[in-house]
Amino acid sequence: MDHLALLLWHALLVSVFFAFLWRSTAVGRRNLFLKTFLIMVIGGTALGWLMYPFP
Amino acid sequence: MTSGKSGKGRAAEGRSQKADATKVKVPPALLLAAWFVPGLGHWILGKRTRAIVFGVVIASAFITGVLLNGELGTPKPENPFSWMAAFACLGNGVLYLGRLLWLNGLGGLVSSIPFSLQGGGDPAAAGFAYGNTFLYTAGLMNLLTVLDVSDISCGEKD
Repeated sequence: MDHLALLLWHALLVSVFFAFLWRSTAVGRRNLFLKTFLIMVIGGTALGWLMYPFP
Repeated sequence: MTSGKSGKGRAAEGRSQKADATKVKVPPALLLAAWFVPGLGHWILGKRTRAIVFGVVIASAFITGVLLNGELGTPKPENPFSWMAAFACLGNGVLYLGRLLWLNGLGGLVSSIPFSLQGGGDPAAAGFAYGNTFLYTAGLMNLLTVLDVSDISCGEKD
């Protein structure tokens, strides 16, 4: 099971959902999608790295 | 060119419109439909694109959760957190009820409510925790769409 693929899939679904829930224009949706998707992917990956030292 | 209204005037007008909007009664059947079938509430209100996107996203998350051997939340008296999980999963509407029916059978479903329901899933599976996350996320997203339908139908949102 590829954990990164699951992270990307989850981030994609949630980002698309909130882009359509909170924005009504195409540009607004695209911007919010990119912002939330990147925050979730980069933040999740960074958190994963930070957790390496812990058992 | 100015609009002729001060900032305070516009703010008061905005508050008045919001107060009017909260007086509009949202049909309970609409909210029930929005909860029961993901996307149906928006479809009824004519927001077809949003309806399709919400339906596809929520169903995809739910199916992913099931395929990863996630367990549907069901209430258990000895575990208070199971009530929160059950609430999150119940948000999936027909997907939740259909899956419970699949797992318990009609007779089992009726006789097991509320504390003996089988939520499926395999705690030993590698994807168990991920599957649970997808199932909870799908349910909570659908509950947010119900709130969105309520806002749209009473005029607070387009």
